[in-house]
Amino acid sequence: MDKMIFLLSEGLKNLWRHKLTAFSAIFSIFLTLTVAGSLIIVSDNTGRIIEYLRDKYKIEVFFKQNISDDQIVKIVKEFKSIPGVRSTTIITKADAKKIFKSQFGENVLDIVGYNPLPASCVINLVKEQENKLNIRPIIDRLRKFSEVDEVNYQGRLINRIETTYQNFVKISVILLIAILIVSVLIISNTVRLTIYAKKDLIKSFQLVGATRLFVKAPFILEGIFHGLIGALISSLLLFSCLTFGSGFILSVTGLKIHYSFLNLLFLLSSLGVVISFLGSNRAISQFLK
Amino acid sequence: MIQFDNVSYTYEKGGGVSNVNITVQDDEYVFLIGPTGSGKTTLLRLAYMELLPKVGRIVVNKYDSSKIKPKKIPYFRRNIGMVFQDYHLLNDRNLFENIALPLHVMGFQKDEIIDRVTESLEEIGLESKSDHYPNELSGGEQQRACVARALIKDPDIILADEPTGNLDPVTSFELIKLLEEINREGTSILMASHNYNLIKGRGHRIIEIQNGIVRKS
Repeated sequence: MDKMIFLLSEGLKNLWRHKLTAFSAIFSIFLTLTVAGSLIIVSDNTGRIIEYLRDKYKIEVFFKQNISDDQIVKIVKEFKSIPGVRSTTIITKADAKKIFKSQFGENVLDIVGYNPLPASCVINLVKEQENKLNIRPIIDRLRKFSEVDEVNYQGRLINRIETTYQNFVKISVILLIAILIVSVLIISNTVRLTIYAKKDLIKSFQLVGATRLFVKAPFILEGIFHGLIGALISSLLLFSCLTFGSGFILSVTGLKIHYSFLNLLFLLSSLGVVISFLGSNRAISQFLK
Repeated sequence: MIQFDNVSYTYEKGGGVSNVNITVQDDEYVFLIGPTGSGKTTLLRLAYMELLPKVGRIVVNKYDSSKIKPKKIPYFRRNIGMVFQDYHLLNDRNLFENIALPLHVMGFQKDEIIDRVTESLEEIGLESKSDHYPNELSGGEQQRACVARALIKDPDIILADEPTGNLDPVTSFELIKLLEEINREGTSILMASHNYNLIKGRGHRIIEIQNGIVRKS
């Protein structure tokens, strides 16, 4: 326990002892996390937008004239088992007649003497899906039903939205990974400067019988403190920007930006700790090789 | 006990030691003497296994250089105290913290660390300077602090590499006497020096090394 307290206090004292390195490392982490945090907030909110759009996707299936309501109920149950289908709404011939009347103000029976409107089913698609929502297999399955006369859907629009969203997700992930790798390398090189400046300390630790882990621990803990401080500053900045900017964004675009300070702090702190752990561990491990 | 069996070590750019066969018994005080560059420091570095011999083996207590695993070396060093010409004290911490360092490494409890370091500072006569930083101490005081740091963990062996190299004759003599006291309490000492006048006539065995070869033991 006392050993742990000693290592923790060494890590904390090192923040003060290596002020310049600490400042550089914290600043690097702050920049990285601010960019990464912005990207995460944008991705998260884009996810909400795509969910909203997917909620609006619908496929209309028209049945042949001779299919009874009971048969339709059975077929629609089968529709529900198709992967990608979230919900279904049956519109019987009687319902269609009512809709016609509500929209055109006249009874279709009075016009043509019988009800020519087909029964149909509106299919809504899943919205909480990470991958691209591919509508084509669903359409193909629906068309295979002999009772189905016609399938209407907004294929081109859905495809364009889904492709754009997937490209956005891919670019975000690549960008995020690139930023994280670069920041690990920057932190590693920054910490390496400290290590070279502190090689006497490392030598002394080794001469008095410190294990490799004991030598590494203060540098890694110092790195983790850098990560936490950088994350806190970055979270505060992003939170302030979102607090003051979300009203403006709402008034200009109509989009409400969703965010939570605690989630942001937790996420960025985790990222900061991981980045700084990897960076400082890389630097000290290379030195002790 | 320190035992060198046919030990040879050559640096990449030349120099080193060749075919060394020496033994330092328990409780013995041995001087290692030779001119600068003769291989004294190399022998000490081999003794605390900072260097591992390319030929032969070194046995220190139960640890054998030909068999020791790298992760065991820190534990082996915990039974060895080291004193250097340039002290190797850490300038960013005070005297107390410098002497306490080995005890932190070995996982001692806080109370015991305070007791041991306080006692050690009294033994070397620096109790009033416990909060001084190394650059606020004289060379002699720094070297005594270095001895205290080596002794704080009750080592079986002390390896001293030119500990009087930066000290004036009077302080050097006092340091030798301090090490003799430590030796009388049962700690083996192997001390390298190039100053024959300082060590002659003190009744301890002298090993002479020249150009990496032990001439006389």
